[in-house]
Amino acid sequence: MTGAAEFSGVDIDLLADYIGGALEGTPDESVVSTLIADDPRWRAAYETLGGRMAMVGAELGRLAPEPMPADLAARLDEAFSAPPRLELVHDTGSVPKRRQRRWVTPIAIAAGVVAFVGFGADYLAGRDNAADNTASSSAAGSAEQAAPTAAPPTLSSGTDYTKATLANAPSEPLSAAANPDETFSAEKNSDRAAAATAPELSRLLPFAALQECLDAIQRANAAGPIAVESVDYARFDGKPAVVVRFTAGNGVWAWASGPDCGSPAGDADTLARVPVR
Amino acid sequence: MTSGDGASDADLLRAHVEGDKQAFGELVRRHRDRLWAVALRTIGDREEAADAVQDALLSAHRNAARFRGDSAVTTWLHRIVVNACLDRIRRRQAHPTVPLPDGSRSDDRPSGVEPAAPVQDHETALVVREALAALPADQRAAIVLVDVQGYPVAEAAEILGVAIGTIKSRCARGRAKMALALGDIAHPTEGNRGASTSVPSGPAAERRDQR
Repeated sequence: MTGAAEFSGVDIDLLADYIGGALEGTPDESVVSTLIADDPRWRAAYETLGGRMAMVGAELGRLAPEPMPADLAARLDEAFSAPPRLELVHDTGSVPKRRQRRWVTPIAIAAGVVAFVGFGADYLAGRDNAADNTASSSAAGSAEQAAPTAAPPTLSSGTDYTKATLANAPSEPLSAAANPDETFSAEKNSDRAAAATAPELSRLLPFAALQECLDAIQRANAAGPIAVESVDYARFDGKPAVVVRFTAGNGVWAWASGPDCGSPAGDADTLARVPVR
Repeated sequence: MTSGDGASDADLLRAHVEGDKQAFGELVRRHRDRLWAVALRTIGDREEAADAVQDALLSAHRNAARFRGDSAVTTWLHRIVVNACLDRIRRRQAHPTVPLPDGSRSDDRPSGVEPAAPVQDHETALVVREALAALPADQRAAIVLVDVQGYPVAEAAEILGVAIGTIKSRCARGRAKMALALGDIAHPTEGNRGASTSVPSGPAAERRDQR
């Protein structure tokens, strides 16, 4: 330990262990005890350091309690009081094609923020079997109206992204429901994506595996829950990659991950990430 | 069920696993302040603490079915939160951030943006927090649990997954480092026969009694 000139010749860590009771029942206990009895430097250090350590302990115990900030408490309350809700919006206006169907969870962020990626496959795989087969057109509604399954829109565009083009929107329609009354399903989602997906990415077609990948991306992004806008089974710099567009606490991102995304060894297998302006 | 006041933590966790959509939220409400305090003192940065708590609770929510009841639910929750904090600290060490013009942050030392303490204790609390923040992460985590939050050594050992003796050593060495750093503030009075108990006498001890 440094900065202890006044304790020259004394092993302060060992002395601290002795004072803190960490040496009880060990041979070192009697060794230190003997040193304190026989060596004036150890005795002086013991008498000084022990008192200071006790005082430090007391000061630490007096640090003021710090309740959780209200905004974080509210976020957790909302996140854990209702199941996740990912719903399709069917706009009728003449908006750009890729905006015609989108996930509204980022908008209903307070309620859905943690929902999709965070809650895992248990909810998303349809724990709430009683839910009906209709996708709501509003972010409002009770928790019991959650969609039966909720996977992000996926596609297999075949696009070979580069860092310069990664932020560009997917180049083909997302695999969303064919009509407004059709429930978007993970199964259909996966089937549609499978048709044109690079074999290396086939591991990520099952929804549970994709979910693990999205979890890994969320951890790697380290800015809280992510709300996924799209998943493109594509390529990056010629290599098979899933390209995920999402919103998180640090903005909107396009993120390219390799085939090992979400696997224990692969973590997010990040190939590139760029902010979407 | 279940989210009533009478349900134990274990009841709530079981209810959550069985599909009660309110149970986990109730469990979080019960313990969130202590979890937050541990995270904040351990990681030292409010934003990172918030992210760590959020990630940890999401993980607990997801993996609740794996809880086997070998420890108290609150111990399990604390373990997940502390591990999330330590993971973040390790990542910070592995990938140091670029120093900002007005400061630096390149190791496990928290960035020191905690709120102010009450006025009368402000200066002492500030230097104590700074000295705490300067400790190695493993010593800091042990001290936060035992000295700041008032957890028994055995429970801190369970939370951190180490032996009781290790917790005692980490706490003792951390207090010694702080004592040296705070030399002018911590005025020893006299000999210390009996100081080896090292039991805090402030709010932490009161909190321990309430648990």
